[in-house]
Amino acid sequence: MKSSWSSRAVLAALAVFLMAVLATPVLAAGKVTLVSEYGIHTEAWKTEMKSFQEKSGIQLQLTQIPYANYFDQLTLNFTGRLGNYDVPYISSLWYPAFAKAGYITPLNDLVKAINISDIPGIQNYYQNGKLYMVPYMNELGGILYRKDLFEDPKEKAAFKKKYGYELKPPETLKQYRDIAEFFNRPPNLYGVTLMGKRSIFLATHFMNRLWAYGGELLDNQMRPAFNSAVGVKALEEVKEMFKYANPAARNYDFQEALTEFTMGRSAMAELWTTGLLYADDQAKSKVAGKVSFVGFPRPEENLGKKLPMLYISWGFTLAGTAKDKRAAEEWIKYVTSKDAEVRAAVHGNIPARFSALTDPKLQKKFPWLEPFRKAMQNCIPTPMVPLIPEGSALVNQYLVPAVADYMAGVADAKSALDKAADGVTQLMKSGGYYK
Amino acid sequence: MNAAQKLPSREFREKILFLAPGLGYIGVLFVFPLLYSLYVSLTQWNLLRPDLGVRWVGVANFVSLLRDPFTWQTVARTAYFVFGSVALELVLGMILALALNREFPGVGVIRSIILIPFIIAPVVVGFTWRFLLNNDFGPLPHLFSALHLNFLVNPPLLSNASLVIPMLIVIDAWQYMPFVTLVLLAGLKALPSEPYEAALVDGASPVQQFFRITLPLLRPALLVAVIIRTMTALRVFDTVFVMTGGGPGSASEVLSFYGYRMAFQSYQMGMSAAIGLLTLLIALVLTLFLMRSGSQS
Repeated sequence: MKSSWSSRAVLAALAVFLMAVLATPVLAAGKVTLVSEYGIHTEAWKTEMKSFQEKSGIQLQLTQIPYANYFDQLTLNFTGRLGNYDVPYISSLWYPAFAKAGYITPLNDLVKAINISDIPGIQNYYQNGKLYMVPYMNELGGILYRKDLFEDPKEKAAFKKKYGYELKPPETLKQYRDIAEFFNRPPNLYGVTLMGKRSIFLATHFMNRLWAYGGELLDNQMRPAFNSAVGVKALEEVKEMFKYANPAARNYDFQEALTEFTMGRSAMAELWTTGLLYADDQAKSKVAGKVSFVGFPRPEENLGKKLPMLYISWGFTLAGTAKDKRAAEEWIKYVTSKDAEVRAAVHGNIPARFSALTDPKLQKKFPWLEPFRKAMQNCIPTPMVPLIPEGSALVNQYLVPAVADYMAGVADAKSALDKAADGVTQLMKSGGYYK
Repeated sequence: MNAAQKLPSREFREKILFLAPGLGYIGVLFVFPLLYSLYVSLTQWNLLRPDLGVRWVGVANFVSLLRDPFTWQTVARTAYFVFGSVALELVLGMILALALNREFPGVGVIRSIILIPFIIAPVVVGFTWRFLLNNDFGPLPHLFSALHLNFLVNPPLLSNASLVIPMLIVIDAWQYMPFVTLVLLAGLKALPSEPYEAALVDGASPVQQFFRITLPLLRPALLVAVIIRTMTALRVFDTVFVMTGGGPGSASEVLSFYGYRMAFQSYQMGMSAAIGLLTLLIALVLTLFLMRSGSQS
């Protein structure tokens, strides 16, 4: 009898052990190394790491590199085949080069597991029919504006008296100029905040207008098309808008532009949606609770058309050298789910999924998510550099100097753009796109 | 000739043994990278297109670099910056060194304090001056406005294509003048007193003493300061990167920034290496010229 009890006890213990083993996820032994920059959206998804590790048993390690060195460090890590990172969290602008080089690998197994139709702009992350990146943070280039000024009855009346129509967030380029002129009351308030330092930020002002006019950077033969008549018009309009900006804005980068807007020193800022997370933060901004967003305006004749709009995204990729690909994909699936995106968004992220953007609690916390969602739905999300390995060089090496030269007055718009186009043609030739 | 004669002498072997660590250090850290740069400069290598491989192109990178008018504009801008900053540092450094060569209460403290800008990291200097020159929050534009120097405020100095390099020269001089002062002060301290005593007997004025005695005798110290500062000014990068990004337009794009742009924005490693070697060549020519002119005089 005694022995039968002890046998049963041993059997029961074995059964419990087996059940525990079976109940434990298959990936319990997995270990995944993440790499990212130090940024607001990284801080948001970091809050999901603990719950993922508890639920999955997969161990996560995160390395963070300052943004200024992130791309270089990552590239050198890849080219040196060090294999230190399994899941790089990267800018959408970088992934084509990494995909082409084989540094990151397609996420074939994930495509079925995640609802990709819920993610705007997802088509940008396919190369040769394969998905390489799952966006986590999506944002658009547009206008941040001061609701308190736009809704002030005195301002509305004065605007209508001067311009003959209602003051409202600009939908057309003419309205945008008028409003910037109206609110331009230096030195305490400027019409618009722009970013004039020679950098990719300056080039975004040009691209915003180029696309609004229906222009494009490259044509379907991959030949430069930005030096067209609309390109010249777009570039000239950039200079025009600087008349309603702080003279200091000629050397502003993103951070300085954001500071000017959050200090309440401008009525509008031509930035992108992430700026709202800072502008709406009581601890960092004088205009918290008084700001909103509108997609980039366009000429009147293009109203209602679905046009390209500056689209910036960060997301998760899978390194070609990842040791435990299945564990890595589990993390990507988890963190990019609707629920995880909603939970993390309050820590400083703009979710990539439409379903997360329409979450009522989130919309209550960030009322500007709704106009952002509408803008996203009604545009063709277009990355600020063409998604080819040469894209970054095309913009940084040729377009940025062209815009900067024109702004500095050392070249006229047409010749500056033509010179850039010549350089881009050479770049594309050397890349083997044509002879 | 016997076998013993063919072998290196013991003395020679010992010399080689003692030199080996130094030679190894130079070989690994200087000669190899230089040769590797030379190799890279003779290739077409796009870091983002490993599928295209590293292609041998001979001197094509140098040819296209030298044919590009932008290269010569960049060389001219760099020369403007280098000569401007070194000249300003020499003049101000000499004045300061002469002032600090006298004994007066607190001179030791002043000698220490003036070194502060020199020990600040250039990137911090860049951010600090960017703030100082900010039209809204920086004190300098307010000072310029109060002095009715509006051309220094609108357009802002760092957005003014004609004044951005002079401004960078001033900032560079602010940071590195203490180094020049230190070198010249050491030179002044080492000067013999006899020529001055003889000059006093002959009735030479202080100005005559400076030009006829101090300057000629100080030539070695001046040469050291000029060579070191020319080399370091040639590779100025941090302040340009932080303050202007090479702008407005390309008004402050110097050679080192051009090389950076080619390497880390275009990922054209071959072309970037060619720019680096061009800078090295300019530095070598300048050094040889300065050393030769120094030794001849």
